[in-house]
Amino acid sequence: MTVERISVEVVYARPDEQLVVALQVASDATLQSAIEQSGILQRFPEIDIETVKVGIFGKASPLDAALNPGDRVEIYRPLIADPKEARKKRAAEGKQMTKGGGKAPESGEDGETEAAAED
Amino acid sequence: MLIAVFVISLLALAFGLLLGYSAIHFRVEGDPIADNIDALLPQTQCGQCGYPGCRPYAEAIAAEEAEINLCPPGGETTMIALADLLGRDPVPLDAESSTEKPKELAVIREAECIGCTLCIQACPVDCIIGAAKQMHTVIADQCTGCALCLPPCPVECIDMVPIKQHIGNWKWPLPAADAQLATGRMAEV
Repeated sequence: MTVERISVEVVYARPDEQLVVALQVASDATLQSAIEQSGILQRFPEIDIETVKVGIFGKASPLDAALNPGDRVEIYRPLIADPKEARKKRAAEGKQMTKGGGKAPESGEDGETEAAAED
Repeated sequence: MLIAVFVISLLALAFGLLLGYSAIHFRVEGDPIADNIDALLPQTQCGQCGYPGCRPYAEAIAAEEAEINLCPPGGETTMIALADLLGRDPVPLDAESSTEKPKELAVIREAECIGCTLCIQACPVDCIIGAAKQMHTVIADQCTGCALCLPPCPVECIDMVPIKQHIGNWKWPLPAADAQLATGRMAEV
């Protein structure tokens, strides 16, 4: 019996070292089996497959999700900063949140004077 | 006399058939000029030329819609190679693109990243790993240094760091006179 195989990549990235493993898996493989097959768990013992968050192309997915050809399986690391704290800090500093690289929206509140000052 | 006319017509017919056959069977897919131009461009996909990537810019040059001096990452070397390939006169680089920068790499300051995914969406080469509320990390080998991830970051936690030269990435510098030749040869491959 021949099992159809698909090509995927498994990626784990730390600031000092990033590992991209290209491999062939069975077409019914899941994220978990692809990660186990890639050997990344042996290379980076700090990854705990039970608790780690994983995903495909920037979207978190469950470990038993199916793979498509060409998928990039990504193993994530938790944040260091607390987004809520970071937001409070920014608000305290009086900076406005921008989204998508655009100019800060004119809110009509006290932020407006500062947005004008930036221009 | 009659034999000569007959032979010439036969030859014309034979060569006509040969040309017709090769026109169908050896047809070149796509635009070979745009391919050659694309091969000379640095493939940073940074969009600084005003086109959405290197390939669209190559097609615009091939269609003679764009000047050859719009590529800041390629700098003067690329502009001269393009002028050489297309038989156009070299044009000085735009004022904006004339300052050549050393090769850089985006690095995320992890203590400040809030996992917003905005830089991931901006990256033209998909070299940032991460998801919503997860740490984002740049794959150094794949980063082209285009700096497109910097403006979207709401916490400004991405730095462009010059790539240090070490034994793994050092290259022989191209002698000025041979630089054109070498890039021209690369386009032929």
